[in-house]
Amino acid sequence: MEENRIKRQVSAFILLGMGVLVFVILNICIGSVKISLSEIRSALTGRGSEETMARIVWDIRLPRTAAVLVLGGALALSGYLLQTFFNNPIAGPFVLGISSGAKMVVALTMVFFMGRAVRVTQTGMIFAAFLGAVLSMGFVLVLSRRVNSMSMLVVSGVMIGYICSAVTELVVTFASDAQIVNLHNWSRGSFSGMTWENVRMIVVVVGAAFLLVFCLSKPLGAYRLGESYARSLGVNLRLLRVELVILSSILSACVVAFAGPISFVGIATPHLVKKLFGTAKPLSMIPACFLGGSLFCLFCDLLARTMLAPAELSISTVTAIFGAPVVLWIMTERKRERAG
Amino acid sequence: MDYYFHTERLSVGYQGKPLVKGIEIGLKKGEILTVIGPNGAGKSTLLKSIARQLKSVGGAIYLEQKDLADMSGTALSKRMAVVFTEKMQTELMTCEDVAATGRYPYTGRFGVLSKEDRDQVEEAMALVHVEQIKDQDFSRISDGQRQRVMLARAICQEPEVLVLDEPVSFLDIRHKLEFLSVLQELREKKQLTVIMSLHELELVKIVSDKILCLRGEYVERYGAPEEVFETDFIGRLYGIDRENFIKNEKLLAYARQIGQMPGTKLRT
Repeated sequence: MEENRIKRQVSAFILLGMGVLVFVILNICIGSVKISLSEIRSALTGRGSEETMARIVWDIRLPRTAAVLVLGGALALSGYLLQTFFNNPIAGPFVLGISSGAKMVVALTMVFFMGRAVRVTQTGMIFAAFLGAVLSMGFVLVLSRRVNSMSMLVVSGVMIGYICSAVTELVVTFASDAQIVNLHNWSRGSFSGMTWENVRMIVVVVGAAFLLVFCLSKPLGAYRLGESYARSLGVNLRLLRVELVILSSILSACVVAFAGPISFVGIATPHLVKKLFGTAKPLSMIPACFLGGSLFCLFCDLLARTMLAPAELSISTVTAIFGAPVVLWIMTERKRERAG
Repeated sequence: MDYYFHTERLSVGYQGKPLVKGIEIGLKKGEILTVIGPNGAGKSTLLKSIARQLKSVGGAIYLEQKDLADMSGTALSKRMAVVFTEKMQTELMTCEDVAATGRYPYTGRFGVLSKEDRDQVEEAMALVHVEQIKDQDFSRISDGQRQRVMLARAICQEPEVLVLDEPVSFLDIRHKLEFLSVLQELREKKQLTVIMSLHELELVKIVSDKILCLRGEYVERYGAPEEVFETDFIGRLYGIDRENFIKNEKLLAYARQIGQMPGTKLRT
């Protein structure tokens, strides 16, 4: 039995890894300019390749793909942490209004500094997003303490999300700057225009957060039987809660700062991954959710770029099409299990 | 006297407000203490305070003369394990997974189970007779099996003291008896000291070494079963009002009968 489970998990990891690899290649190849595998190779090695091809691969497709890979993983991981923390299967950074909160503060910061002709640095953006994420998270926490129910949590999150989005819309509409076009695209969620500088920052922040989350896999495992049992096993619950809140906020803040709010990846991916692995053990789930989120986002970004090319869909449009049915499926499945 | 486990003027309650005051318990190693009393008398509150799930309002709890409040979470988790009544929602966990969470205090940085840990889990599951269902999903087994898996989980912690809150309340008579028999077996084999609450008064008489009766703000009685039970006692402890049973003497007689220890005659 134990061996079977290990086998299943190893094959699931291999499957996910291969999926990610395939979609990374597809993402680089497919686009308004088709690039063949051999052209990619020559562009990467820098030998005998056309300058434009090399530029497209190096400056546009590669950084974008890398960003999608890491940010997608970050989203799914943040969703996994929130679901564990709230013991709620439909928690996620978007549903709980955390993404929208981050978006609002980033938009306010950008408009404020643009008005003074100051460019906001990447670090500044991340800080602003983190501040917004923690703010909404705080609201959700206060509300969930008052009314301890699964639906109340989601309702308060969605409402906070609406309020923050409304404020963002207002700010974006009234700020009359040429750069607002950028802001508008970003506020709907998009991976376009990633630079290597962005990617470096993303990898550092998400990488550090990932390692810290991975170190929490043991207490998270004990947390699976609920707070009382975790406490009786000697888990420092207060510390664990703070760590969970901060890490999930950092992860979703990083995504918002660079790609805007992206819906459904955070909710849907952990469930799909759990089904695939046949376990919900944090030690495997943490890396698996990350890979799953990468795969899901690579797939969705490919569609967002190509479906209506040369126009580009907002990434949330695509993630919602594939993610929302998963959420519905989760809910009906849960109901059926409880009835049966 | 040097007790293995004892409390001194322990007060328990919520947010600094005492619910029960002046609790004095003294137990020798391997004894079974049962807490009884009407609903809302503070049984769960007391058990939660003993298990340090709740901060006690006053007084102290000692395990081998050491104040529980001074122990680290991990140190305590190696000496005391709990089984609560709350229904849990597990996700994709087999019974073995659930039991294995009890090894938490003994595993390394990432909580990976060693060969010895696995053996411990297996042994614990065999002790409570759930080894056949170890691969089944925990959310799909019966209540009786679930309680026993939770007991196996507690045993995996290698505790000296076991705290159980109404462990048999949702079980049918067969599973109630089986569960309590397993508990007594554990006391024999592992010298476990057991502290639990029970509603089944007939069973309380049989399994307990000491009984703590809670009612209202204070401890109604504390002692061995023969000291605690007497004909009128159950009626008094639970506030059974004669007036309500004028046309139903049989039910009233039942309460009196429980109060009687086996072998003594019912006073009329």
